[in-house]
Amino acid sequence: MLLNQFLLLAAVLFCIGVYGVLTRRNGVMVLMSIELILNAVNINLIAFGTYLSDATGQAFALFIIAVAAAEVGVGLAIVLMLFRNRRSIDIDAVDQLKG
Amino acid sequence: MNILAAVGVDNPPLDWHALAPELVLVGLLAVLLLVDAFGGERSRWAMPSLTGIGLLAALIPVATLAYDGVVRSMFDGAYVVDNYALLFKALFLIAGYVVVLLSTNYIAEGDYWEGEYYQLLVASLLGMTVMASARDLISVFLALELLSIPAYMLAAWRKRDLGSEEAGMKYYLMGVFASAILLYGMSLLYGMTGSTLLVDIAGAIEGTEVPALVALAVVLVVVGFAFKVSAVPFHTWAPDTYQGAPTPVTAFLAVGSKAAGFVALMTVVLIAFPTQPRIFEPLIWALAAVTMIVGNLIALRQTNLVRMLAYSGVAQAGYILAPLAVAGVSGASAAMAVEAVSTYLVIYAAMNLGAFAVVIAVARKTGSAEIDSYGGLFSYSPVLAVCMSVFLFSLAGIPPLAGWYGKLTIFLALIEPGTLAGYILAVIVGLASVIALFYYARVAKVMFVDPAPDGDTTPIRVPMSLAAALTITVAVTLVVGVLPQVLARVTGAETFLSIGG
Amino acid sequence: METTAVEYVVFALCAVIVLAGAFGVIWFRNPVQAALSLVATLFGVAVLFLNMNAQFLAAVQVIVYTGAIVVLILFVIMLLGVDVEEDLEEEPLVGQRVIALVIAAGVAGLVVAGVTLGGADLVSGARSVTGSIVDDVSNIEQIGRLLFTEYVFALEITAVLLTIAVIAAVVMSRRPSEVEPLPAENASMEPPEPMEPEAEEVFD
Repeated sequence: MLLNQFLLLAAVLFCIGVYGVLTRRNGVMVLMSIELILNAVNINLIAFGTYLSDATGQAFALFIIAVAAAEVGVGLAIVLMLFRNRRSIDIDAVDQLKG
Repeated sequence: MNILAAVGVDNPPLDWHALAPELVLVGLLAVLLLVDAFGGERSRWAMPSLTGIGLLAALIPVATLAYDGVVRSMFDGAYVVDNYALLFKALFLIAGYVVVLLSTNYIAEGDYWEGEYYQLLVASLLGMTVMASARDLISVFLALELLSIPAYMLAAWRKRDLGSEEAGMKYYLMGVFASAILLYGMSLLYGMTGSTLLVDIAGAIEGTEVPALVALAVVLVVVGFAFKVSAVPFHTWAPDTYQGAPTPVTAFLAVGSKAAGFVALMTVVLIAFPTQPRIFEPLIWALAAVTMIVGNLIALRQTNLVRMLAYSGVAQAGYILAPLAVAGVSGASAAMAVEAVSTYLVIYAAMNLGAFAVVIAVARKTGSAEIDSYGGLFSYSPVLAVCMSVFLFSLAGIPPLAGWYGKLTIFLALIEPGTLAGYILAVIVGLASVIALFYYARVAKVMFVDPAPDGDTTPIRVPMSLAAALTITVAVTLVVGVLPQVLARVTGAETFLSIGG
Repeated sequence: METTAVEYVVFALCAVIVLAGAFGVIWFRNPVQAALSLVATLFGVAVLFLNMNAQFLAAVQVIVYTGAIVVLILFVIMLLGVDVEEDLEEEPLVGQRVIALVIAAGVAGLVVAGVTLGGADLVSGARSVTGSIVDDVSNIEQIGRLLFTEYVFALEITAVLLTIAVIAAVVMSRRPSEVEPLPAENASMEPPEPMEPEAEEVFD
């Protein structure tokens, strides 16, 4: 069973996601970068679960996928609402509040 | 006929009494959904009263469980109902009730989807009550999401308002990013220890030689929660979100969400990592120190009262973090830290909710939260001005208002272990409190000395529900300040033997 | 468990696909292209799940992630207009990209160091008793048993979470004018909505 290779792959995926979140300014793009991080988490969980012969890791991953679906639904609703009023989803153009 | 038994799976033992507060909240949620769906426009007026009654009803099982006094544990210890959990459940429910009182007129008179507002509020409160009992990574994560996802929506709840939508968007993106980081830490923690139960994790990482990945996991988990409690440098979302969101929602986020974040952080750190103070103590120490200093310094130059309260909330997060930075020295210091954090959270909830209640009341007349617009408040609404001063000076920690007792427990917890780190942090808490006094006192000066900006001195009419919220919060602030032993009885260290001690 | 050559080959192929897709997500300016690279990453991860004997999760990954989440993202991108490209030439904060790179590389370095230094006995935890994987019980049955015993409360919490998320998302993404069930009576209370005609063009 490959464990370290999976962990390294997940680490790289996590970092690509973090980089994406910190540099992208389009709300939907940030959301996609966050999905990359969540996938890194799921790879970790399932690799550890298989290595430990423990189904808990898979159950945890299942919960994460369910919550990710809810998060994306909510996020896109906010994006849609913002776009309707603002005609832009650039999160740096969103600067009504400063201080 | 039990379906699980038919396929050869043993039913997990369920303690219905222990789950009763959550069940009442789920029932309330179902009732609100049905009333909204079938009652339509005519039933809108009943929503706040129904929600309020439901939240108070959920307090009944909390009280009976506290009277019973037995530690109830389910699912191999993943869900525990003890005094620690019950104290925070009661805090969340009462804070939720006060938020409903604050919302009643604000939401009915503004441009909001009223029915769903209360459903989201109840769902978020459900997440918080679950968080108080969660003792494994999966329940902590799910409770965190259940309390956060409705909160993202609530922040953006004002129709056609860019400020509110921006508030929701920023809060959402930061919150989701924080939970992703938290999850990565949790996945490493699960893998390195083979369990999601906090107790088992503590057992697996005992000893001084821990793999580097465990250290990284601890750091990522603490950083993930630092976003939630708006600790510097992860606080950037807080001021914008607080200012843009509808004010009752701001009060809810500043008190409920933040308290739930602290409960989660404290539970995870003190149950899962008590044997690894070398890893979490320096990190939390640095976060607490920076948060107190930066939060107070930025609060000094705010001109908007809600924004000032947001930065003051950031600074307060620093005070609450401080005892956790010395919690790993010994069992006694952990118990002291738990007592200090829970005492401060209760007091902070009362005084902050009260301050936001005054903001909402004044905004009914002036339509503004700028500090200048509070000029002459004492001349035309003396009661509101006095209430606001009570809350502000309590936040500053002036005796005999409740804030001083909160600060005292924090000082005691910091000094108890007798380490240099603890003393330095205590000095920083003291210095930060002195800085904070300036901006709280400035608001008081505007209210009492300055003239009304537009010369309009008609008194503010305070609706019943807001008056009730003000009465509750002022009463708690004064009673705890004068008779701190009342609160000490429920937050005292001896009630927390199941955690940290 | 022995590692077979097939496992290595599948892992290597999938890793390339996953990473290429991930780079695509942060590289492409066009959101549609980024979303399609995300699909590649998600499919690669699904095959990796199969490689790790997590068949149920692999199916869920394809159905929920690729089938629901990415389709939703694509739908919103299309709804908002494909030409919403971001302008990457202008940095929002001085050095934000550099800071992001440093943070990302730092975490990656820590994990790589942790994994390689950890060596063979990286995982110190004891084998779990409650959820242990038995070879003669199917993957989906094991997960099902766990979900309905150990994690039954967590499962119910997730149910509440999904319900409330759906309600709130539906309410929010409705047009404000449609929310009012009694338009005639409320017409005077509603502020005028200047963007309405424009909104019709885009959303109909």
